[in-house]
Amino acid sequence: MGATERTKKLVSLGVVLIIGLLIITGLGLEYQDKEDSPVQEYLEENYEETGAVNLVESVLLDLRAYDTFGEVIILYIAIAGVIILGKELRKNKDPGGEKR
Amino acid sequence: MRSPIVRTSARVISPFLFLAGLYFAAHGFLLPGGGFQGGVLLASGAILLLLTHGREKVIRLEENIDWFETVGLVIFLVAGLIGLFIGGAFLYNLSPGTPMWCIVLDVVIALKVFAGILALFIYLFGLGEVRGC
Repeated sequence: MGATERTKKLVSLGVVLIIGLLIITGLGLEYQDKEDSPVQEYLEENYEETGAVNLVESVLLDLRAYDTFGEVIILYIAIAGVIILGKELRKNKDPGGEKR
Repeated sequence: MRSPIVRTSARVISPFLFLAGLYFAAHGFLLPGGGFQGGVLLASGAILLLLTHGREKVIRLEENIDWFETVGLVIFLVAGLIGLFIGGAFLYNLSPGTPMWCIVLDVVIALKVFAGILALFIYLFGLGEVRGC
């Protein structure tokens, strides 16, 4: 039983490695062309476009604003869940119950 | 939490925390910081007041906290839609060349994160139930 478990693990490890290699070579991630990549272009023109000195902020709110929007929505949904649960718990608790 | 030393020092410190939060949020385009960090700082000031002075001081904030959250999200969405109609892309930068866009979005995010963290604290720790701390 132990041997089959080990072979299973080894096979899955090999599969993961092969898929990773395929993704890296297939997408051309093994080297990055630093000179003429669009990111480099953005870094150079960042100040004229957004007027923000802080590069991180300009990326967060201009180039990757979708990403920030998604973060905000995730936070909103999580906190909506917490508020709904909290109100339900508060409603169900008897008023003379134990004090926390 | 009813010790006068703790209450007085919290009363002294919390305005500076609010100020630092607003500063971090509004100056995110110049310095390290931004909406999320500024919002957490604002929330820490409110949580300090909540812990030391009890629920009565912040009860109006607590009742309106989900409105804060929703209004922040709606402002973000409306800004994105205005950009869609003017510039042709969702969340298009409405003020190219000036940091107004970053400032507005950062302050909106800060208010939203402030409401969110405060709501998490109030509801997860059951502080709404505590009368006398």
